[in-house]
Amino acid sequence: MASADIELMAHLMRRAGFGATYEELEQFAANGYDATVDELLSPMEQPDLEVDLLERYFIDWKEMNALEVNQAYLTYRMINTKRPLQEKMTLFWHGIFCVGNSKCEHGAQIQTQLNMFREKGMGSFPELLLALSVDPAMVFYLDNCMSHKDAINENFGRELLELFAMGVGMDGEANYSEEDVKECARAFTGWTIANAIPRYPYGRFPSMFAFNAADHDYGEKTFQGETGNFNGDDIIEIIVKQPSAARFIARHLYNFFVADEPQIPAWQGTPPRDIDAIKEMEDAYFESGYNLTAMLRVMFKSDWFKAARFEKVKSPAETVAGTMRLVQDFTSPKPGLHPIAMEIRYMGQDLMNPPTVEGWHTGQEWIDSGTLVERINFTADQMGNTDLPGVQAIIARLSSENISDPATLVGRCLDMLGCYSLPDETRAYLVEHIGKSGDLNPGTEVYGAQVAQTLQLIVATQEYQFA
Amino acid sequence: MTTEVLGVSLQYSHSIGRGEFAGPGFRNPVALARGAEGLMYVLNRAYEYRPDGKRVTICTVDEEYIGEFARGVNTAGITDIVTEDGSLIWPTSVALDKEGNVYVADEWLNRISIFSKDGEWIGKWGTEGSGDGEISKPSGMVFDADDNLIMVDSQNNRIQKFTKDGKFISVFGSQGSGDGEFNLPWGIDLDKEGNIYVADWRNDRIQKFTKDGKFLVAFGTSGSEPGELNRPTGVAVDRTGMIYVADWGNERMQMYDPAGKFVTLTTGDGTMSKWGKDKLDGNAEMWELREIAQGLEREKDFWGPVAVTVDDEDRVFVVESCRNRIQVYRRQEPMFQGGGRL
Repeated sequence: MASADIELMAHLMRRAGFGATYEELEQFAANGYDATVDELLSPMEQPDLEVDLLERYFIDWKEMNALEVNQAYLTYRMINTKRPLQEKMTLFWHGIFCVGNSKCEHGAQIQTQLNMFREKGMGSFPELLLALSVDPAMVFYLDNCMSHKDAINENFGRELLELFAMGVGMDGEANYSEEDVKECARAFTGWTIANAIPRYPYGRFPSMFAFNAADHDYGEKTFQGETGNFNGDDIIEIIVKQPSAARFIARHLYNFFVADEPQIPAWQGTPPRDIDAIKEMEDAYFESGYNLTAMLRVMFKSDWFKAARFEKVKSPAETVAGTMRLVQDFTSPKPGLHPIAMEIRYMGQDLMNPPTVEGWHTGQEWIDSGTLVERINFTADQMGNTDLPGVQAIIARLSSENISDPATLVGRCLDMLGCYSLPDETRAYLVEHIGKSGDLNPGTEVYGAQVAQTLQLIVATQEYQFA
Repeated sequence: MTTEVLGVSLQYSHSIGRGEFAGPGFRNPVALARGAEGLMYVLNRAYEYRPDGKRVTICTVDEEYIGEFARGVNTAGITDIVTEDGSLIWPTSVALDKEGNVYVADEWLNRISIFSKDGEWIGKWGTEGSGDGEISKPSGMVFDADDNLIMVDSQNNRIQKFTKDGKFISVFGSQGSGDGEFNLPWGIDLDKEGNIYVADWRNDRIQKFTKDGKFLVAFGTSGSEPGELNRPTGVAVDRTGMIYVADWGNERMQMYDPAGKFVTLTTGDGTMSKWGKDKLDGNAEMWELREIAQGLEREKDFWGPVAVTVDDEDRVFVVESCRNRIQVYRRQEPMFQGGGRL
């Protein structure tokens, strides 16, 4: 059996990253929990991927011409990043600040936005909101380029309040009024993008944010009870001071990292699952001057985070990237990445192309009869492939531990995949099944197949769908 | 933008290409070989999601489309990738022998495919490995005066010479950053004496060797100042010994004198190609969008200048992998007022 330290580390790495091999978990556990959290919170101290090498072999990654190319790149990053929390936070913001390829001038622009999340997604919330407001993909997606001083388009102004920074309401009260939406939209008039160069004949060019002073409404506005000649950045300053902004981020972080909760449309009337946890993060938000890493630190070091084992259904991205990390495939450039990336789409998460501006419905809504079959087929295919280095490493390890009875084999395979546990009945079924496969003779080819089959059975369980 | 430092300069001529997965145009082109009578063979790498764009396009310097050959392998299945003769997965370079046959290197298959000048598949060779005559991720290729093929064996960090049917002749180089050592080299060319120039990609330099592989000189250091290099991918040498380098990471092409001294650079001067104009004529609204586009001057700039080639008429061809375009320049000698040449 794995030690309690390793079990806790498996939990941390699944949530703050995309999982880890057992050998990595042992190393992290040896370093200690708090030191590992601190390392995760300091991604820039870890090396980035070798982008020059990636662009040499995946030569299309310099251009990012198609959605599928972007998705392959993002998948590769999730599998290989040495900065797992940075990548996880990128995914976190991507699920909140949604833009979609289906309404996008230029697919590479979404990658530019994700790079912005990598850079600013763990820093200051007002800086992040400001960067979002001048992000060309967002300006286009929510029509702020169509919002004029004489004819406002409320889309961006409304979503900034409803979906990006405050939420409709909290503790039974509304967080803003319809008047606030209009005033917010007025403040962001003139925040637009330059006219694009057409895609023919030489392809797309990066979009450019532009402030059109002639189309900005410089008049007086009243927003959240304050009055002035507000511009967009003034509005952001007012937003981030509100208790609703702290509540907004805290509930999103809790839902993404700690335990599945009802999603944002329900927040006005549905109290948080753990109000004390939320308040701890809210306090960190204000005490740190709206800093996101401060909130993450409180969360990851809390007892309520450590106790929340398997309280979340894995997203498709977590399922695919986590499985690929375990089997250690695509650790360097090679053909065949596109179909791996497509699995995330087939499981219901078309990255960089969310269904609506509300993003994906998470938690149990990830699972239906179709997506569950996709999950099981994909993960079982990977785990059953004894050519893959990660599977070979597990086989070699269990051989070296000389494990020859079915019950211990099942237990150690659960450990190897990240210290999963199964209900007694399921576990007994697996033990019985492996027992029927013949004697377990470590080091033999048949033993390798028996280990791989055990891994396949585990990833096909309900429990493996949880993180 | 072209900066003139010494007397010799580069004169922009015209642009060739547009983005296409088939027919007149290119998709992520990575290499170019000049054939007889203005023919050009342009190798398109495209990408995994669209293997149909992988091909060799035959056209002329005047942008006349002749045809295309070789096709990408569909790697969309997780297993069982089928690689038929003449198919491509990760093509890297193209070279022509004296008969005009076309040799295409594939760095995933570790295979050299041979086609007739019209694109008919006629053979293949290549064995993966690190022993003499074995290859690992072949990159640039060039034929010498004896019609032997000199190849950058990139993952093995060495240069190998083969007969054109793949028999090993000689080898030099090893992994490292010292003289005669390489770090994932990419492009290659020869001068008229047969000296060998290699784009030592991850060492950010060009190395020059005798035809027997004896180290002569290296130039270039990491950086973005004039003369400095950021992951140089391609190198070419003209009849006068001037050296042209595709400075990929810096999005520019640099020119050096025969001693390796920086002469001039260009970040691109691209204009509307003939095929580009045809495309826009068929999509008239695009002409209108161009009228109101902002920052259209960015269309001049190189994006992904991955390969450079010169021909016997001192024309310099820069292949841009991301713009699906080739910008053509001409080396210009300084003129005296009396009209005489320097």
